[in-house]
Amino acid sequence: MTIARRIALAAPAVIIAAQVMPALAQAPAAAPAGQAPGFYRFKVGGWTITTVHDGFFRRPLEGFVRNAPIAEVQGILAENFMATDTLAVPFTITFAQKDATLVVFDAGNGVTPAAATNGKMIGNMAAAGIDPARVTHVIQSHFHGDHINGLLNAANAAAFPNAEIIVPAAEWAWWSEASNESRSPEGQRPQFANVPRRFAPYQGKIRQIAAGVEVLPGITSIAAYGHTPGHTLYRIADGNEQMIFVADITNRPEFMMRRPEWQIVFDFDGDMAAASRRRVLDMLATDRIRVTGYHFPFPANGYVARHVSAGVQGFIFVPAEWSSAV
Amino acid sequence: MAQRRLMMGTALAAPLLARAAVAQAPAPAAPATAPGFYRFKLGQFTVTTIYDGFRIMPVQGLVRNAPLEEVQAVLAESFLGPTDYRNIYAVTIVDTGRDLVVFDTGNGPQAPGATLGRLLATMPAAGLDPARVSTVVISHFHGDHINGLITAEGGAAFPNAEVVVPTREWAWWTEAGNETRSPPGQRPNFANTARRFAPYAGKIRQLTDGAEAVPGIRMHAAEGHSPGHTIWHIADGAAELVYLADITHRPELIARRPDYETLFDFDGAAGAATRRRVLDRMAADRVRVTGFHFPFPATGFILREAQGFRFVPADWG
Repeated sequence: MTIARRIALAAPAVIIAAQVMPALAQAPAAAPAGQAPGFYRFKVGGWTITTVHDGFFRRPLEGFVRNAPIAEVQGILAENFMATDTLAVPFTITFAQKDATLVVFDAGNGVTPAAATNGKMIGNMAAAGIDPARVTHVIQSHFHGDHINGLLNAANAAAFPNAEIIVPAAEWAWWSEASNESRSPEGQRPQFANVPRRFAPYQGKIRQIAAGVEVLPGITSIAAYGHTPGHTLYRIADGNEQMIFVADITNRPEFMMRRPEWQIVFDFDGDMAAASRRRVLDMLATDRIRVTGYHFPFPANGYVARHVSAGVQGFIFVPAEWSSAV
Repeated sequence: MAQRRLMMGTALAAPLLARAAVAQAPAPAAPATAPGFYRFKLGQFTVTTIYDGFRIMPVQGLVRNAPLEEVQAVLAESFLGPTDYRNIYAVTIVDTGRDLVVFDTGNGPQAPGATLGRLLATMPAAGLDPARVSTVVISHFHGDHINGLITAEGGAAFPNAEVVVPTREWAWWTEAGNETRSPPGQRPNFANTARRFAPYAGKIRQLTDGAEAVPGIRMHAAEGHSPGHTIWHIADGAAELVYLADITHRPELIARRPDYETLFDFDGAAGAATRRRVLDRMAADRVRVTGFHFPFPATGFILREAQGFRFVPADWG
């Protein structure tokens, strides 16, 4: 007695119904919708963390790492099934909400031309149900353009009109002193003009903070200087649970965690950045702390584990599992 | 210095602050999380993976041929917990332009509030209409792969679809005489198979190793996990993808230790041998894959590492 025969006995009524209905339902195939909205949500104690994708920027690989042969960089990218001629640098912004507090860590690329591959944060925030007018605090890790340009909206006004802006004092001091311009690497000099422009609408609402202080209840600053003079990470904690927004402690972790000594074109002080990177990654791997990173592969949250390859003690990024349950 | 420069921006700032105060309003309820679908192109084909949800089960007893502590250590390396194992499900859907093909159907109808069986509810968010599905391909007949063939009312979840099944899988689970020759845990599949395929009588096509389900989609036998378990090669021109079905359970555990046999395996030793052969080929060819129990969005690549293989998720884009 085969199932086919049993089936034939079991369900004729259902089959007929099913076959009549579909004939009516036939319609021209709709073009498939686009990608799912770029946001992802999880909890850290009472904090609701949302990561919001701001798109990516593709640039030549050549010249990106300053102290390693390009063939070595390409080798590690290939191991990660990434392109070896260009590098897509993604941007993901971390939000943290608890009670009436809604914090955004860094401001994204802001308004970009319609065809740009970066600047997707505004649309993805809307999809995530986050209203910029409800953001109570913008906390900056550092002042590179991809982190502060989104302080302005299309009208060059405040993109977060009700927010206090919290900035590392060391970062503020460097970029707001014009005489530092000639003491900065050439590629970083445009920041001296960009910083006042981006912070302009927030006059009187900017608070400078030191390293190692609680900047808001549950949020603590951690100095990680080098990538910029005041580059700062933030620990977000509630009860026994915590995570760290590690900002630009690495660019893409697929290669910068594997080789923490590599220095990139955007580093202000490459040696200091590498020393900070090794120290922080070592702490993250030992403490097994969940992290979000600004240039991590979306949804840009996970863990850091030690990893040895070609005799080099480095690290790998282990993405946290995607879940439909927040 | 910049302090002073910033002062000049004050005129700009004042009207803004005034406006901002007005904008305060009760917080709208934010959506819990983004819809569970992910999309990428494969040549001219469009591939969508859909999250069917998860079920928590004990780590203890999951792997039949390794000590619990060893399994827990491997899980810990991927930051997965030692006691609760999250069984996750992801369905691969391919739109070839000619055919709309669903690979396995997920867990199907569930009680309200269940964490699994979300395929039909999520498809509309991805712009996919179950009534437009032309072909349902079944890799094998375990419940989490076939239960979604039917709706809560017992009708066909994909009312216009032909259902393509591996001949050897069909032969095993439709012959009642095989029941006593199957592991006790697998015996419910005999009754379940009859029930789930019932609404598709006359619309079921059996396929043998190496044959095409539809143009561009070809079956390959990968037996062991079940008697007729299959994987599927999907190609448009030079662009190719392999749907690995259950060649591994969660790759964080079973790709990294390919000789582990799980409680879901029909023939664990044969499953392990098949797994090594297939993963070795995936790593050598560097071909993109999707997997039914892979971490969502369940697509990436297979890389050799010391004791087995590592799943490397594809970049989100």
